[in-house]
Amino acid sequence: MAKPHLSRNLKRNLVAYSFIAPNFIGFCVFTLLPIVFAFVLAFCKWDGSNPIEFMGFKNFTRLFGDTFFKAALKNTILYCLGTVPLTMVASLGLAIVLNQKVIGRGVFRTLSFFPYVASLVAVTAVWKMLFHPTKGPINSILVNVFGHDPQLLPQWFSGSLVLVSMILFSVWKFMGYYMVIYLAGLQGISSELYEAASLDGAGTWNKFRYITWPQLSSTTFFVVVMLTINCFKIYDIAVMLAGGGSGELTESSTVLVFYIYQKAFINWDLGYSSAVAMVLFVMVLTVTVIQFYGQARKERTDR
Amino acid sequence: MKKRIIAVLMCLCMLAAMAGCGGKSGGSGKGVTLKWAIWDESSTQYWSDIKKAYEESHKNVTVEMVDLGSTDYMTVLATELSGSGSDFDVVTIKDVPGYATLVQKNAIIALDDYIKKDKVDLAKFAGATDQVLVNGKLYELPFRNDFWVIFYNKDIFDRAGVPYPTNDMTWEEYDALARKVTNTTFGKQVYGTHYHTWRSTVQLCAMLDGKHTILDGNYDFVKPFYEMILKQEKDGVCRKYADLKTEGLHYSAAFSGGDVAMMNQGSWFISTLITNIKKGDYDAKLCGNWGIVKYPHAKGVEAGSTLGTITGLSVTTASKNKDAAWDFVNWVSGAEGAAVMASSGNFPACMTEDVKNAIAGIDGFPTDKQSKEALDVSNLYLEVPYGDHVSEINSVLDSYHGSIMTGELSIDEGIKKMNDEVGKILGK
Repeated sequence: MAKPHLSRNLKRNLVAYSFIAPNFIGFCVFTLLPIVFAFVLAFCKWDGSNPIEFMGFKNFTRLFGDTFFKAALKNTILYCLGTVPLTMVASLGLAIVLNQKVIGRGVFRTLSFFPYVASLVAVTAVWKMLFHPTKGPINSILVNVFGHDPQLLPQWFSGSLVLVSMILFSVWKFMGYYMVIYLAGLQGISSELYEAASLDGAGTWNKFRYITWPQLSSTTFFVVVMLTINCFKIYDIAVMLAGGGSGELTESSTVLVFYIYQKAFINWDLGYSSAVAMVLFVMVLTVTVIQFYGQARKERTDR
Repeated sequence: MKKRIIAVLMCLCMLAAMAGCGGKSGGSGKGVTLKWAIWDESSTQYWSDIKKAYEESHKNVTVEMVDLGSTDYMTVLATELSGSGSDFDVVTIKDVPGYATLVQKNAIIALDDYIKKDKVDLAKFAGATDQVLVNGKLYELPFRNDFWVIFYNKDIFDRAGVPYPTNDMTWEEYDALARKVTNTTFGKQVYGTHYHTWRSTVQLCAMLDGKHTILDGNYDFVKPFYEMILKQEKDGVCRKYADLKTEGLHYSAAFSGGDVAMMNQGSWFISTLITNIKKGDYDAKLCGNWGIVKYPHAKGVEAGSTLGTITGLSVTTASKNKDAAWDFVNWVSGAEGAAVMASSGNFPACMTEDVKNAIAGIDGFPTDKQSKEALDVSNLYLEVPYGDHVSEINSVLDSYHGSIMTGELSIDEGIKKMNDEVGKILGK
């Protein structure tokens, strides 16, 4: 009696597995195995051809004395600290404004989504023209309207300003995408809550503070996690905006993923670059775990 | 029944297809196929010229070219040759850092035994091969050798009434000449000189005294050139590095625009200029009247020293036809290959008087005596000679070059950083 039941269950599982299999096998071969391998490599020295040598923690101790690693780490963290809150605020603001019944709402929604779908190479080219150090309109306005000294114009793509440029660019490029997510969240809030609050005499700020923000907390959680992970992964924007004559990044603009690439495929130091990748992995993991627990605790206290 | 027949037929089809594939890759017996890694096949004439000429004189050999693209050629090649899965026989070596990587990865073999066996005289490479020895062994033979010269626009000098640059100039004279021909009037702007965003255009001017290389670990000697060029930038004698980087302006566009009087660049630009002016892609009114002179030199050093970049060929460790591959490498780098290279205006590594005459005789090459004399090189220093950590050193220097040129760091700070960081690599 039990036998057919078991086999039916097994059958159902097998059917399910067979559907998962194509994707999962691909994932294992091309993603999971390399990740596991990178963990091992982080403790080794390897150039991709010669035998692998075990190094212990030497790769990790080397990180502390590495000027470029420290610069990359600092830049990546600063970039995240700038981009995550700014993008979140900008996209939430846009979502709230474009959730009202304003005329041309569809047009504005499309316009704010446009940077996200535009090709990165094309829009960085436009940004580079706009912020061109001597001929760009931004710097021309600084000279002609604000009377800035033409000899000391800001260099938007080098020095201390390059991170600012990168942050501004990212906010502009990605706010449309997160706006859509927030819009979906906003439309999930029941209008009864706002009506009840109006009856109780709540103003706009109080409605936002006590209804919108708490109701959106799971959306915000998602947005912040995705933003943080994406920010730590920054590579293309840095190379496109700040890459020099041969694509290299200086100390002021280098970022972790670029450094990982450089160490791995230009200098063929795969062990060391895996160690840098581990640092990136641990950082993203920590941030995500903290946010996850914060969210879980908040939901418990809310209940 | 019908279904079964169809199934059997399909199986047969598949088997036939597989057998067909197998037959193809199995080779046809006697002939040898050499797989050769190159870049930019469509825009570079000489790859197919060499293939054709070699196959004509070696009937049993087929050369199969694989184009890996030029942008990150050495990176792609190193990836291809990692592990043991590659089936390249001959690979082209684009630069020395990439060469160092391949040698360290044991991806290419030392050619010394072959060189001894076939009695190849390395003297024909004018010392270039000595600068890429790895522990006394040679892993590549150069077939192309480009060296740096000064390109200048004669029309600009005529208009300004300034005498042309000469084959014997010091850097001070070069600087003075560039300033003389510069015009900063808006609308009639002329830049006396132009430096592309590569590090080589600035730093390597300092290597010409023969006392320094970029592997030294101490870079104080490049300071005068950073000072000279940054001062030129400030005075409007040349375009600013930060501008060029932002625009991504190519040196060929800068020179063919007709507002650059002089530019230091490699001899590869000669054939580019000739072809594009002929085709009408560059406006002959703006840049058609050009000439070349020898690279300026330091005070007290004789004229004619310049920087060079060699392009070489190597035999891979994984190759199953090493002897045939060596024969190809030897042929291309020798006199016969040199003739093929020169026919399209490119500089072969084995330079002879005939080759020089052939290049200077190409239609479109400047007809003045100076330009032809500029092809005589007395000392050739490789932009990058071989060293153990050359690839890492290159990354560090590139990065701080950018920092100095954009003004992120002062010249002294930048050079100190170079000394410190390269010192760390060398001290390892």
